[in-house]
Amino acid sequence: MRRTLPSKSPRTSQQRDDFDKLYRDHVDLVYRYAHRLCGETETAKDLVQETFLNAYRGFEGFRGDARISTWLYTIASRACMRMRRKRMGQPERELSLDEFIPTSDGEFRLQIPVDGLTPEEALENKELRQALDQAIQKLPSKYRVTLVLRDMEGLSAKEVGTVMGANERAVKSRLHRARLFVRRELSARGITKSDRDSGAAPRKSGGSST
Amino acid sequence: MKKSKTSVRRPGRSAHHAAHRLGRCLYILRQLSAYIDDELPSDICRELRRHLGACPNCEVFAASLREAVGLCRHRPTPHLSSSDRAALRREIIRASRLGSQG
Repeated sequence: MRRTLPSKSPRTSQQRDDFDKLYRDHVDLVYRYAHRLCGETETAKDLVQETFLNAYRGFEGFRGDARISTWLYTIASRACMRMRRKRMGQPERELSLDEFIPTSDGEFRLQIPVDGLTPEEALENKELRQALDQAIQKLPSKYRVTLVLRDMEGLSAKEVGTVMGANERAVKSRLHRARLFVRRELSARGITKSDRDSGAAPRKSGGSST
Repeated sequence: MKKSKTSVRRPGRSAHHAAHRLGRCLYILRQLSAYIDDELPSDICRELRRHLGACPNCEVFAASLREAVGLCRHRPTPHLSSSDRAALRREIIRASRLGSQG
């Protein structure tokens, strides 16, 4: 994807150096975040490019009220939601708590092989990783951004609120719904394969995990 | 009591599910993320733990939500290769120069 900036006054070499340093110091963070949001390498690269171009445009205006990482998360989140809106062409739905109330026996537990495994060990199962990624990708944007920032990037609810322009209460409510959504998607998926694609360490527990 | 792993329906289950939809369990469901994040006041936390001990469905549900959150927290992500990092940098600089000239 090729984009150009709107015409602005030419940057001084000092500003260009500062911006270059910003890129070097934060490109890995922005790419990691973009990949978690988009779930796909090429789209994540587009988002990185869009984020840094927008950051360049606003660099002079950045007054340091927030941490630079928070500022970049904000730019990336907005760019991602714009890209998503363009693709979807319609407003995304709100998640209601009622839709996550289990209605049958099978819906209470995760139908996936996690018993006796640490999350890292469980995630060695490729099918489980794909199921998790798909569940996250199916989330409406504002819930996905909230979940990724809080549970994957490790920001506090307050920091997520700063990025999203929402109060902590709203952030916690969105996070809860997003988690319930991912839980339900994993539960509905019913992964039974327990072997891991790396063929690494044996299972810790002797019991059945399905 | 451990539930059967199969999805065989047992008598009385639908009544239990109907009960599960009611007050207490729904209240618990609303609090679960705050519980997992250790954000609840100690008295509510105690109350919630008491309920989870007495309601197998809520207990299983809470455990499964905790597992889902654990998976999200530990999902590894691919890294940008150094050549991709350099290529992206070149592209951003090129685009920003074009913008300045425009």
